[in-house]
Amino acid sequence: MDGVATQRSGAGSRLRRSQMGFLWGIVMPVIALFIIIRVIPILVVLLMSFTNFNMIRPLVRFLPYQNFLRLFGDPNFVTAFVNSTEFVLIAVPLEILLGLAFAIYLHRKVRFESLYETLYFLPYIVPMVPSAIIWKWIYAPGTYGLANYLLDQLGFPRVGWMSTPQISLLAVIGIHVWKQLGFFVIVFLVGLKNIPTSVREAAVVDGATPWKVTRYVDLPLLKPVILFGVVMATIWAWSAFTEVYIMSQGTDISTGAEIQVMVTRIYAEGFLYFNMGYASAISFVLFIVSLLFVGLQFRLFRVESA
Amino acid sequence: MAIKRSLKTLRNWAGLHLFLGITSFLMVVPFFWVFLTSFKRSTEIVTETPRLLPMVWTLENYLELPKVAPFVRFFLNSIIVSGVSTVFIAFGSAACGYVFAKYRFRGKDFLFFLVISTILIPLQTYIVPLYLLTWKLGWINSYQGLIFPLIIMSSGIFFLRQNIMSIPDELIDAARVDGASEWKVFLSIILPLSLSPIAAISIVNWVYTWSLFIWPLIVANSTEMFTMELGLMYFQREYAVDYGGIMAACVITLLPVLVVFLIFRTRIIEGVAFTGMKH
Repeated sequence: MDGVATQRSGAGSRLRRSQMGFLWGIVMPVIALFIIIRVIPILVVLLMSFTNFNMIRPLVRFLPYQNFLRLFGDPNFVTAFVNSTEFVLIAVPLEILLGLAFAIYLHRKVRFESLYETLYFLPYIVPMVPSAIIWKWIYAPGTYGLANYLLDQLGFPRVGWMSTPQISLLAVIGIHVWKQLGFFVIVFLVGLKNIPTSVREAAVVDGATPWKVTRYVDLPLLKPVILFGVVMATIWAWSAFTEVYIMSQGTDISTGAEIQVMVTRIYAEGFLYFNMGYASAISFVLFIVSLLFVGLQFRLFRVESA
Repeated sequence: MAIKRSLKTLRNWAGLHLFLGITSFLMVVPFFWVFLTSFKRSTEIVTETPRLLPMVWTLENYLELPKVAPFVRFFLNSIIVSGVSTVFIAFGSAACGYVFAKYRFRGKDFLFFLVISTILIPLQTYIVPLYLLTWKLGWINSYQGLIFPLIIMSSGIFFLRQNIMSIPDELIDAARVDGASEWKVFLSIILPLSLSPIAAISIVNWVYTWSLFIWPLIVANSTEMFTMELGLMYFQREYAVDYGGIMAACVITLLPVLVVFLIFRTRIIEGVAFTGMKH
């Protein structure tokens, strides 16, 4: 926030008439849109989770705990919750560690840096639907699919990428990590570039090897950026949808119900069965667990640096 | 000694490039694979012994596409949705960024907090009430319905505010003393001096809206309203065995984004590093 010091209007703290016109003419409508499109729906979803709201049957009843009780006995939800947890626990560390590794290597003043950077970043920028469909084709059974063909060529047994539920879930997590990784490479690389060179030079003068510089200078200074990355990765992993949806669609696949996650449950309950109160309860749980994870991460990072 | 050292440097250098080269190549292998596959005849696609290059290059897969599904319509729908959204975002972010950077009034911090506080909450979580709102407005299966949740962007306002803060107050005050209205100040000083960040935000938003899937999936329920992503998904489901067609459809969905990315690479990377490409 380097601009805070200069944040001052020549007109003093009273807005002039023309400024008021501008404020109410454009900016307030935009803020009203924020309230209508974001703030109110977020509050409403929390309220709706305590009702049996259903688009087909408009009689609404208040259910103080029934929805949440029902969640625990709902095998579909339990599967989705377990899968999402696995999703987060695998995807987040992979994204952060690989992102850090690539960023640290890229930062060693290599040639073609921008070429490598572009290639890492490409999957992040392209849409998820075609990407997931391409991966589905790579995972195709027999040796039609590239993945099994390569395993065959290397002498490994073929894998039922889309028929063994545990493997299917890992395959989807693979797509997610491949897709998001570029973001973390870029963010960490920007973070590394923002570390003043004088700090690093001082360490080199003291005889530190490149690895020591990374370990004792770069990583500690990068901590806030890493925390930011962990938080983003966690939220995205909890709210994964498209890759799971695509991977569980169609006749060429035999694992659908087994690989569902939180948001695919929200979609199914809300928009296939129109149980919108119940779907909102799943959203509520999603809010709470994401918040818990993020809170925990803030704590862990603070404890470590203390 | 000197030779030994330079040998070691060379080995490190080669190792580094081998590592970076292989990993970055692996990231884009799926794109090469789909691109090459889309030019193969169907007999060459579903085979136990896939080859890298097509034996016969054919455009058949592409030419057949418009006959089985209205991909031209899907493409235009996507252009309309992301285009309108981007115009709103560019203009709204600049105006709000200006006010949050340069105005002083009571309640400003609260309003800014309101705009920023939802930045981390994904659309997926509050999609049920958003759908009900769209339904009450009578906008299900319409352009209004597809577009309206996409016309605001917290990180866009934040990004523009940071940039507009660095515009000197003297410039603005001088114009005001000359009797310029706020509209004039905005259009003739703020906008021209913020073109670069506005471009970054616009491109990032265009890519984001082009790629969005869950919202069109819920709101568009007839083929005429499908976006590219949605059309591609249905095509993939209905014609699951037409791998050649699916691969060609994937290529034409990816291509606009790839082209835009390669043209505006630096802007996009800068914008994404700041916004995370989320609204």
